[in-house]
Amino acid sequence: MDEINLETFILHLKRKVVAGSFHVSQKTAQVLRHYISISKWPNAKVIIDQIKSIGKRLIDAQPLEFCIGNIVRRVLFIIREEYITLKRNLPNLIRLDSSKNNLLTYEDPDTIDYSSHIPTLKSQVIEAIGELIEEMKGLHKNVAEHAIEHIHSNEIIMTFGCSRTVEQFLVEAARKRKFGVIVVESAPSLEGRKTALTLSKNPNIDVTLIPDSAIFALMSRVNKVIIGTHAVMANGGLIAPSGTHSLVVAAKYHSVPIVVCTGLYKLCPLYAYDQDTFNDFGSPGEYLKFQEAEYLVNVHSYNPSFDYIPPELVSLFITNNGGHNPSYIYRLLQEYYDPRDMLEDDDEDVNNNNNNNNNNSEISQK
Amino acid sequence: MSSSSTPAATKNAWVIEEFGTMIQKESEIPIAIPAVKVLTQAIQQSQATTIMGLQKELDEIINILKGCEYNTSISLSSVCSLFVRFVTRTSLDFPVFDDYKKTLIERGKQLSHRSSTARTKISQLADRFIRDGITILVHGYSRVALAVLINSHAQGKRFNVIVTESRPDSSGYKTALRLQSAGIQVKLIMDGAVSRFMDKVDYVLCGAEAIVENGGILNKVGTYQISIVAKAFKKPFYVAAESFKFTRTYPLNQTDVESIKNENVVGSPSICKTCSNLDKPESLTIDSPTLDYTPPSYITLLFTDLGVLTPSAVSDELIKLYN
Repeated sequence: MDEINLETFILHLKRKVVAGSFHVSQKTAQVLRHYISISKWPNAKVIIDQIKSIGKRLIDAQPLEFCIGNIVRRVLFIIREEYITLKRNLPNLIRLDSSKNNLLTYEDPDTIDYSSHIPTLKSQVIEAIGELIEEMKGLHKNVAEHAIEHIHSNEIIMTFGCSRTVEQFLVEAARKRKFGVIVVESAPSLEGRKTALTLSKNPNIDVTLIPDSAIFALMSRVNKVIIGTHAVMANGGLIAPSGTHSLVVAAKYHSVPIVVCTGLYKLCPLYAYDQDTFNDFGSPGEYLKFQEAEYLVNVHSYNPSFDYIPPELVSLFITNNGGHNPSYIYRLLQEYYDPRDMLEDDDEDVNNNNNNNNNNSEISQK
Repeated sequence: MSSSSTPAATKNAWVIEEFGTMIQKESEIPIAIPAVKVLTQAIQQSQATTIMGLQKELDEIINILKGCEYNTSISLSSVCSLFVRFVTRTSLDFPVFDDYKKTLIERGKQLSHRSSTARTKISQLADRFIRDGITILVHGYSRVALAVLINSHAQGKRFNVIVTESRPDSSGYKTALRLQSAGIQVKLIMDGAVSRFMDKVDYVLCGAEAIVENGGILNKVGTYQISIVAKAFKKPFYVAAESFKFTRTYPLNQTDVESIKNENVVGSPSICKTCSNLDKPESLTIDSPTLDYTPPSYITLLFTDLGVLTPSAVSDELIKLYN
């Protein structure tokens, strides 16, 4: 049962049946919870290894959907935390220092033994993952709660693309204040139009839709730029839909503050080094009709999906647990993830090999 | 007091001897490792029966270490204060003195082990930042930075390195030779030519003598100006250094560097050979500092054995440590 569930989920990820960071994260957490509850495992070590190898398969299915990895890491972190808390309550066991990564705590993280059998661990872990899922459900609301503090009456806000978090944030502010929103159309996906449509239904928001080319021209009259993002990287940089970088640079030029609304599940412990590290090429069909292509034989056409935005261009992150400075992001990472759960390729080759073998056998069965 | 200090000095004569032999045996190891080893050994040999007594003995030994001729780096005093901090902090956890002593010895061994594995750990972390085909600018002679580059090259990465000459001691020459013998493409340039080459560079990588409280670094003179050039060209500036180089100082300007630098740290006052051969009027003042201070705003990330840190994370670690 669980295997089917997992396999279909992987297939759905690959075919983008399940898409969008929020849905993918929710589903990932549910699938992992289901797996943990249904499978038999003697101790935390076994289940950590299993979740790691599943996590890698999920990430491989959709490598640029960073939140999959984030949720897997959160789940692993939950297992480790619950294990240590439960173990500490057991008698005759060494006390572990809770402050992680400290120069003075010489507890080598690798020496913590996860192989004790603790009967209550399973139910505790399942409950904690349940809390994580609940937390994610309430996330947009939690982010939106901060709206009143950041948006004032008669301000002009510029926003980009279509982000549910930003939409709810603006709508929440509009309950008490009247203000204007300039929505950038966001070519080639033109998702900004959707945002403009949704916001225009609110009587307190005065919506203006502009093409991407007009960003700089209108920036001088904007009070604040509020955007969503695809992922937040470990240094506080963003992986955001392409076009965002030019918006942010224009805002910087005019010293307009740039506020990023995001749920913490988008916080990713990886580093983007430049524009190419994490990027994807979409179909040029969004802006170039197939019929027209024959007249443009000698023309190259690229449609990159993302922009990397360095942390110094971001003024503030508004997350479901409050506002944070970009330089504070590393601290949040320590709170939510364990350094052993990086889930990168060179992590454990043994697991990879096992996966490959599994995959091969599945293929041969088919 | 004077009567008690003389036997203490003879009693602790082994310290310098031991420290010296350890350093001479392996010139490539960071100074922190022999220091921690000596301190651990001191605890082992100690006849003290109280925590206060032990701490006093350690203080004496640290003073000897700091005063000896082998003290060539700021990191010695930072690792000593780290050790002392640890000794005082642990004292609250153990009501029985023998347990306390045993834990200290064990942790001391762990600390020296950790310090010796730090470079490997940093190399692994930094490996992700090195991609095929990039060009890295290196300044000075940093064993950590060298370890990072050589490790990545051994992993099969192919990249170019530009090394500055790093006057006055021309340590960049040594760096270039080491890299070349490892099979890495190296180009040696003059210190003054940094901005001439900066557009070809993907990022700057350098080591550090010390990492200070605000996340800035003290390093080989010239680091500061390279970081400014890197910032002007919008290139990342990375620092690779072990965590025992975290120092509890807060320089506000370049003149503060002098006071942080230990008096025993030998710095040659000469500039380069060509200059010193020239006839110079007696009235001409020549100054040749060895270190400068790079403020945190010019540093993109620090690769340490505690992980890849932003400069503000450094202050966090230090606060956690000494709070």
